[in-house]
Amino acid sequence: MIQKISTLVANNRRFLPLSATIAMFFIAYALGAVFADGMRDPQVFFNLFRTSPFYLISAIGMTFVILTGGIDLSVSGVVALTTVASAALLRAGWDPWVVMLLMLGMGMALGAIMGAFITYLKVQPFIATLAGMWFARGLCFFISDDAISINDRIFRILGQTKILIPGLADPVTKQGDYISILVIVELVVLAVAIYIAHYTRFGRTVYAIGGNEQSARLMGLPVNRTKVLVYTLSGFCSALAGITLSIYVLSGHGLYARGFELTIIASVVMGGTMLSGGVGYVFGTLFGVLITGLIQTLIQFNGQLSSWWTNIVVGALTLVFIGVQSLLAAQKIRQLASKKFQSQAKERVTPRQVGARNRQMLLVGGGALVVIVLAVLAIGGAQNTTRGSGASSSTPIAATCQLKPFREEHAASLLKAGAIIAYERNGGSNCIDELYAIYPDGRIVGDDGTRKIEKQVTPADVEKLLADITGRGWFTEEMYTTWHVPCGQCFSYDLTVSYKGQAKTVKAVDGGTDAPANYWQVVSTINGVIPHFTSTQ
Amino acid sequence: MRQSQPTFTWRKITESKLFFPFLALALILLFDLIFDPGFFRIETKEGNLYGSLVDILRNGSCIMLLGIGMTMVIATGGVDLSVGAVMAIAASVAAIMMNPVIIGVKLPPDLMKFIYDPNFTYAPLWQVILVTLIVSTICGVWNGLLVAYAKIQPMVATLILMIAGRGIAQLITNGVRIQIFYEPYAFIGNGWVILPFSLYIVALVLVIAWLLTRKTAIGMFIESAGINSRSSFYSGIDEQKIKLIAYAFCGFCAGVAGIIASANIKTSDANNLGLNYELDAILAVVIGGTLMAGGRFSLLASVVGALVIQATTTSMYAIGVPANAVLAIKGLVVVFVILLYAEQVRDLVRRITGQTARPSGKGAGS
Repeated sequence: MIQKISTLVANNRRFLPLSATIAMFFIAYALGAVFADGMRDPQVFFNLFRTSPFYLISAIGMTFVILTGGIDLSVSGVVALTTVASAALLRAGWDPWVVMLLMLGMGMALGAIMGAFITYLKVQPFIATLAGMWFARGLCFFISDDAISINDRIFRILGQTKILIPGLADPVTKQGDYISILVIVELVVLAVAIYIAHYTRFGRTVYAIGGNEQSARLMGLPVNRTKVLVYTLSGFCSALAGITLSIYVLSGHGLYARGFELTIIASVVMGGTMLSGGVGYVFGTLFGVLITGLIQTLIQFNGQLSSWWTNIVVGALTLVFIGVQSLLAAQKIRQLASKKFQSQAKERVTPRQVGARNRQMLLVGGGALVVIVLAVLAIGGAQNTTRGSGASSSTPIAATCQLKPFREEHAASLLKAGAIIAYERNGGSNCIDELYAIYPDGRIVGDDGTRKIEKQVTPADVEKLLADITGRGWFTEEMYTTWHVPCGQCFSYDLTVSYKGQAKTVKAVDGGTDAPANYWQVVSTINGVIPHFTSTQ
Repeated sequence: MRQSQPTFTWRKITESKLFFPFLALALILLFDLIFDPGFFRIETKEGNLYGSLVDILRNGSCIMLLGIGMTMVIATGGVDLSVGAVMAIAASVAAIMMNPVIIGVKLPPDLMKFIYDPNFTYAPLWQVILVTLIVSTICGVWNGLLVAYAKIQPMVATLILMIAGRGIAQLITNGVRIQIFYEPYAFIGNGWVILPFSLYIVALVLVIAWLLTRKTAIGMFIESAGINSRSSFYSGIDEQKIKLIAYAFCGFCAGVAGIIASANIKTSDANNLGLNYELDAILAVVIGGTLMAGGRFSLLASVVGALVIQATTTSMYAIGVPANAVLAIKGLVVVFVILLYAEQVRDLVRRITGQTARPSGKGAGS
């Protein structure tokens, strides 16, 4: 039996990483379903697809690029540019279908230019696509600094139509499990990509280039044309991903999809494609993307783990998959060497068998490690759901206090009463909610809802503070790009400054946010000036 | 004109590694001269120098540091994508050592009230810096082990830490952005001793790196490992150890950069600190003329390359381009630099200079 399996494994070695990924996905999902009741809902499974069209589509383009041995860092930039440009054009009243075609054309053009740089000027793919990413992302902000919302009817229909799953939904009441049109799009793209990669001349050339560019050239394959086409294809996929993203979120902004390309690359690697090129399957990319989504889902169902664990787990998974891959590659080289040896000396096959066993051991070990990590996540989630609210007491810091809404009217009334800075700190480990007002005459009043605190500084200090805040670009456009991502354990800030006839409110939350660095300097400057409530606990 | 001197020197200048980075820097400064004449004004306040040029040097110090470390790694034929994440880890470690209250460590009440005091730190400064640098060097060693001993492609091996690193940095501070109140630490990034204090650190690291690579055999070993690691293995060089050292040093540089960056903004910001700096650093090295394939390298050229990047950014700010839109200009500068380095363009330049200087000199361009 074991021998049978080992021959099967040995004969289908090239499918190993892929099948390991698929098996891991299903095992992890099953474990999650065993321990967390919520995950048994089929909709959770469909949501993995529903939330991933942009990931999958751009990952497919990336797979082709990586198969040729290149890399495309520009996907995130092109995705962001597509969302902004299409939102801006729709706002200007263009026809949505024309906009989509235009975006696809733009993505292909950008891809083709980068491909030409890489192919004909012999620029490193890394550098050329990096320039492309910066260029595309920068262009977004020439178009618009703010997020532009999309109100187009067709985009809405595309994004919000529910396709009910037969058997799992009630067609009359339109209730039950569903997918969106975008899911169909992503699956169609996947099917087409599989066809292109494995059943066309172009696909075979891509694999040949990844295997050995020099010999592909010597074989008379159109290497240059194929390489340019591959980057064009990736640009096309990125633009399509951008369109699906703007349909999904119904808005466009230059800061969407930050760090997207790395998630994508990690997904492709987890799908069994080797970064050195020439080895991998487009189908595997699907499972790479699904596993990334699954990790997030498990962490959500767990509820206790913070979002950054996603990064750590994805990193660890990448390590394991790469470990398996490089092991297989080393094995292949050794095998080739031993074959040579065999033909010369008619040796026994024992070294190969030992090698195979080692490889299997490591493969199983690596797989087990991943499953254990995912199982821990799943079990944690289960415990959390069964224990309910009691779980929060198990970790001292996870005392999640709900972020209260900002006391905006109160702050506004303070400003009307002559304050020039209204500053609210909210949340933190002690669940504070403090509102400070700084007046031009140097009086600082703090109010935490029950107590008041006062401090007097000189008017010159206040003027210096204001000059510093302005010098930090408070009234510039950059300060608008702040986020609201409530994290429960951290501070959120709401800071209104009125100075020399200008007034501006910026909100941000500590941790998990993307406020510009200057914002935090302003916050820390103000924190250095205001009085502090002594801890009551 | 220069033609009176033998053309040999002109050729020597144009073929030098430093020529193109300096040319690019000069072009950008020329651009500033035309569009913003006030750009070159330098003021003295309390004996310290201020001005746009000083700003370029000060804001560029992180990229310069990363560029120095990255040069070593790229010279061995590798690349380190994780430097930005290592910066974030370093900043988190440093901040948590100075202000552990935020993660739930209960200080005695008499110490609690000092936490906003600019003269208070939980651990002494030398410990903070030492531990931070050790941690970041360990990060570098981890990369080095994966690349040199586990034989994983450098881009993938360091991608792991790049993705996981920011998670780890948030794990250290429990997801909280820690403010740094301790003034002596902030001085590292904010202080001035005639010139910005961070510049002296850059100079120190540069001198150390230069001594290590040019006064010992390590530099030659690095280059040989980058040109052909197999043949350097056969000629008795422990190329694995050399690679490990290069990555460890790169981690060390990232740690120093992390300290400077966090001291400058007085917070440990695991999400944004050093974001995209790895790309800047790699670009600095490429502008400096070190090939991504490895081999010959020049530390000084990388530092100038970093200044080219920072000068571009600063001058775009100076003429009023919005912060995020500067990326597009940066992309164009990259394209421009790529074109400068492309063989076709170089051939063209060679042909032009060769024709004007030596009508028959065509064979020299090897």
